[in-house]
Amino acid sequence: MSLFEEMQQAIIDGKAPVVKELTQKALSEGIKPADIFPKAIVPAMDEVGRRMRDCEFFIPEVLIAARAARAATDILRPLLVGDAAARPAGTVVCCTVKGDLHDIGKNIVAMMLESAGFRIIDLGADVSAEKIVDAVRAHDANLVAMSALLTTTMVNMKSVIEALAAAGLREKVKVMVGGAPVTESWARSIGADGYGKDAPAAVDLARSLAAA
Amino acid sequence: MSGRERVIAMLDGKAVDCLPVMPITMMFAVDQIGKKYYEYATDYHVLADAQVLTAETFDFDHVSAIAETREAPDCGAVVEYFDDQPPSVVESRALLADKSSLARLEIPDPLAGPRMHDRIKGIALLKERAGGGKVVEGWIEGPCGASADLRGINTLMLDFYDDPSFIRDVFGYTVEVGLRFARTQISAGADIIGIGDPAASLVSRKIYEEFVWPYEKRLVDGLHELGARVRLHICGNTRHILQGMGSLGCDIVDLDSAAPLDEARAAMGPDQVLLGNIDPVRDLRDGTPESVYAAMAECHRQAGPRFIVGAGCEVPRDTPAANVHALVCYAHEHAP
Ligand code: B1M
Repeated sequence: MSLFEEMQQAIIDGKAPVVKELTQKALSEGIKPADIFPKAIVPAMDEVGRRMRDCEFFIPEVLIAARAARAATDILRPLLVGDAAARPAGTVVCCTVKGDLHDIGKNIVAMMLESAGFRIIDLGADVSAEKIVDAVRAHDANLVAMSALLTTTMVNMKSVIEALAAAGLREKVKVMVGGAPVTESWARSIGADGYGKDAPAAVDLARSLAAA
Repeated sequence: MSGRERVIAMLDGKAVDCLPVMPITMMFAVDQIGKKYYEYATDYHVLADAQVLTAETFDFDHVSAIAETREAPDCGAVVEYFDDQPPSVVESRALLADKSSLARLEIPDPLAGPRMHDRIKGIALLKERAGGGKVVEGWIEGPCGASADLRGINTLMLDFYDDPSFIRDVFGYTVEVGLRFARTQISAGADIIGIGDPAASLVSRKIYEEFVWPYEKRLVDGLHELGARVRLHICGNTRHILQGMGSLGCDIVDLDSAAPLDEARAAMGPDQVLLGNIDPVRDLRDGTPESVYAAMAECHRQAGPRFIVGAGCEVPRDTPAANVHALVCYAHEHAP
């Protein structure tokens, strides 16, 4: 098995200490930090996403895999600062909307996006439109990723989009939404730029929105 | 038949005049009496008023003491209260953020803990006001949900891999808490104890069977020893754990809408009483009386005669009254 394959397997198996060790080994062998993302982390998390979709992985498996991926990204991120070739795929402000405390799905989406090379500004759960607007400005974000798990809080996604418009930021950021009660047609009706059915879909969507 | 007689006859496998009906209501119930959920959560008089009025208005066969967790705050967890939605455990200040604190936790006395005691008093009041004609349902948290409340759900999910022995310890602790709480609820007049274990649907079948099932089983057996009947409700998609849920020996398995009743019937056999399970939002809240009635008929067709009418989960607030009437109407117009 190649080093990259070993890393992929360790991420899929959720073995954070092994991933850490292998990342250091890769660096000591002269592998470029920017290469480790596309060759190890991204394919591993794509596989985790596939297994989640196929109900082979449930929340514990996804969370330990995401944690393992983070063991690598924590080492790699500081090394990538200033590396023009390794600019983040985009900066994503993510959160669960006002009134909503469910954060497992948002955490998974955030970790998957991070593994896919995005810079994540995670504002947590129960986040006001105002805070989101401030974070977009402060971090010069180009994506907003909002999650809602309650039919009663979904409506707050619309307020965020309105607040972004009122702050003159709507043209600058793409807005993506998700969470169990959210649907494609709802996303369209509130003027979001996209909807992700699950975490892998969120990654595909973020990639396409960031490229647009 | 009174609602009480109907439910008990169904559970005992005896003849009933029509299908029993036992939907979960919390926010919907408190809205019926024009009060805020904060009051429902903190004052058992409000809970009893809301439950009795809702059960009478819609002709449910039960009244319930169901609400947010009462065990976690009395164990010492920090809970945040909101004006008009259920209080919630503050995960960032989880009681068991440090696992070693578990060894120092005691099993709270339900009559001394303010939140548990409120429920006990609520059950006594429900019994007094509705217990003649309706089944009185108490409520406790299942091991996975209760442990998530103490440890933080995100962290608990990692513990399954990081520290299986801690999982067993904390699940064992919550089962003891639940049984002690249930014993007092039964003394206060509860006929049925509902177990809510929402987080159990988030784990794989393997983890469910290895870790969750044995403790749910201990809880169900313990409740039976105390003389109660048991309703199990696990929110979310339970398709992968139906077999396990069906082998716990619960009197009622109450399914969320993601798990089709025909699959549950196939997994659990012909004798298990199933309860459910139209989609609370899409079918019940957003449907019409006609579509609710039709959706209920489809549930009944899939579940067969050992069946109690309900929604997949809590009746959402803002559900039109006519839709809830349609759900009950289906039950009243159909024998099993
Ligand atoms: C930006 O782009 C994107 C793209 C994709 C995105 C995305 C963003 N965000 C998510 N995705 C997508 O990717 C993820 C992975 O594939 C997916 O994410 P999800 O978030 O959908 O899925 C997660 C990975 C796993 N799913 C979950 O994490 C939710 C699990 C269940 C059990 C659940 C939990 C755990 C909790 N709950 Co609550 N809870 C339930 C849930 C019932 C169930 N078993 O499904 C649900 C969601 N809860 C509900 C309710 C009503 C409530 N909850 C409440 C509280 C809680 C807890 C705090 C106890 C806890 C949350 C803890 C936490 N830290 O998250 C209360 C409200 C609190 C509040 N203000 O938020 C309360 C009101 C209390 C109550 N009556 O039960 C129901 C919502 C009904 C509705 N449609 O409105 C519910 C479906 C249960 C039910 N059947 O009634 C996709 O949707």
